[in-house]
Amino acid sequence: MKILIIEDEQELAQDMVKFLSTEQYLCECAFDHQAALEKIHGYEYDCILLDLMLPGGDGLSILEELKRLNKHDGVIIISAKNSIEDKVKGLKLGADDYLAKPFHQAELAARIESLIRRKQFDSNNVIIQNELSIDINAKAVSVHDQGLRLTKKEYELLLFFIGNKNRVLSKGALAEHLSGDFADMFDSHDFVYAHVKNLKRKLKEKDYGNYIKTIYGTGYKWEQ
Amino acid sequence: MTRLLNKPLKAFALFALVILTISIPIYVLVIDYIWTSELDENNWLTLEHTKQRLQSKQFAQAEIESINHIWGELQPGISIVKATTKVVFQDSVYEAIRPNEFDLDDGEDRFRGLKSLIEINGEHYILTIETNVEESDETFAAVAAITFVFFIILIIGFILLNRNIAAKTWQPFYKTLSSLKSFELSIDKSIQLPESDIQEFQELNQSLHQLISNSVSTFQQQKSFTENASHELQTPIALLKSKMDLLIQQKGISSEISEILNSIEAPLSRLSRINKNLLLLAKVENHQYSDQQQIDIKEYLESTISLFEDYLDEKQLQMSTSKEESLMVYANSFLIETLIHNLFSNAIRHTVRRGQINIYTYENSIKVSNTGKESLDKTSLFERFSNTSKNKVSSGLGLAIIREIANKYQWQVRYDFENGFHNFIVKF
Repeated sequence: MKILIIEDEQELAQDMVKFLSTEQYLCECAFDHQAALEKIHGYEYDCILLDLMLPGGDGLSILEELKRLNKHDGVIIISAKNSIEDKVKGLKLGADDYLAKPFHQAELAARIESLIRRKQFDSNNVIIQNELSIDINAKAVSVHDQGLRLTKKEYELLLFFIGNKNRVLSKGALAEHLSGDFADMFDSHDFVYAHVKNLKRKLKEKDYGNYIKTIYGTGYKWEQ
Repeated sequence: MTRLLNKPLKAFALFALVILTISIPIYVLVIDYIWTSELDENNWLTLEHTKQRLQSKQFAQAEIESINHIWGELQPGISIVKATTKVVFQDSVYEAIRPNEFDLDDGEDRFRGLKSLIEINGEHYILTIETNVEESDETFAAVAAITFVFFIILIIGFILLNRNIAAKTWQPFYKTLSSLKSFELSIDKSIQLPESDIQEFQELNQSLHQLISNSVSTFQQQKSFTENASHELQTPIALLKSKMDLLIQQKGISSEISEILNSIEAPLSRLSRINKNLLLLAKVENHQYSDQQQIDIKEYLESTISLFEDYLDEKQLQMSTSKEESLMVYANSFLIETLIHNLFSNAIRHTVRRGQINIYTYENSIKVSNTGKESLDKTSLFERFSNTSKNKVSSGLGLAIIREIANKYQWQVRYDFENGFHNFIVKF
């Protein structure tokens, strides 16, 4: 799957490439408006990450161009501007999601995963992970074809883990994913432990493998 | 406090009083001098005339006596008497005060006399001419009365002129004063001062213009500096965060390094928060977030409570909300959300474990109460970075943001401490 990263801060773009690049994803970068236009004219992408402040032009005009070309690439706006107007404008112009800088790479990865899944499977969106299956539309989880009752937070955690397989997820990233933007208002994110503990317990009860590993001092990792 | 224009009025009145009072004796002296010198001249003329006629007629002694008698009967002011001694003397002037024969009420009269020696047919006579002069005390009274009348007229004139001047000439000054009073640095971009044809006022207005435009531009610079600085900081913060994310993915990290990495996360997220809040403050100050809509505060409160649930549970806080219907305000939805998030997170952060948080909604206000030990410093509570000393998480801007948002909509924010509860009240 191809991802285009339109971001003028080259260092940041390269970090995203490093973090996202797996056997699944192929990342390309465009560092200015002109390069971005050339890329979207020439190729199809599964997901485009779009910074709104670009040298040589407004990021929003790229959305307009995509619309004009009648292309349906998924677009996630990643902007440092964090302005509500831009968010509203961007979503109106056809962007699928909006992520304000600074963000955790894991959060970005989960959003990309979720976007691509939405784009690919409109009606029957089911994730199969070993004996675990998650019906995204129905928000239902089952192990060995047996229903598994999860709280909203546990369900979100599970999706976040599966979207970031084999990556270390810090407590902060998990807390931010669960509580949103204001997680950094608090010093303690101990509630994350409780949710992860409950999730692990529930999965174990259904005889599902113990994939969620605790990384000492840092966070957790879904190892597979 | 005296008004500016009343000060010179008092001084002018006092000065006029002094000058006019001093002028009274001077007038009296001058008038008296003119009187007497005119009368002396008149006496002298009459005397010379009479002398000449008497000498040219060569009257006998008996005749002279009868003339004196007739004069005495008809015009008592003039007399001719035989000199008893043969002393020759020059013409002499004298003054005499005599009782008034005709008007007893008038008391005494002042007379001005001239005595001269005259020789008729070898005999020496003394010729005397007297004229009534106005007494100086009478002159004094008259002058004093007139001066007093003029003084009154002068004062009335001063007051009327003063009013007139105040109304016309000082008008630009008072206008300037009122525009200065209503000027607010954070709202107004420039000031309108009235034009004036008076040099001092024009100079005053120009200096004020200069001063205010300097302040405004400094203020604007300061605001845009904050906004630009936090914009500039966003990229390095984003980079730091992404590097951290990459770093923790590395294999073979020792537990020591892992712990250090973990302890970087908290200050990094605080840095990010402070920067976000500074930017938000600058944007509110710069009158962004202008679009408004009807918002039900109650709805926002409920969604916020569910969002913060984990943090409430983590500290085992008791939460209660009052069951009001709804509370509608017309404002920017993002700012309302921010306001409520800040009030909430503030309460959660500063309440001890197993503490209590109460949310009350009233007709046009909300109150967030949480348990606490002692009252906070009310004066600096809402200032930026006023309470960051011990708290490692607080951005130091939460309450400043609450106040800034309230200021934008002219809402009131209040803090008090009551029965072991900190109360934050926002009145819409």
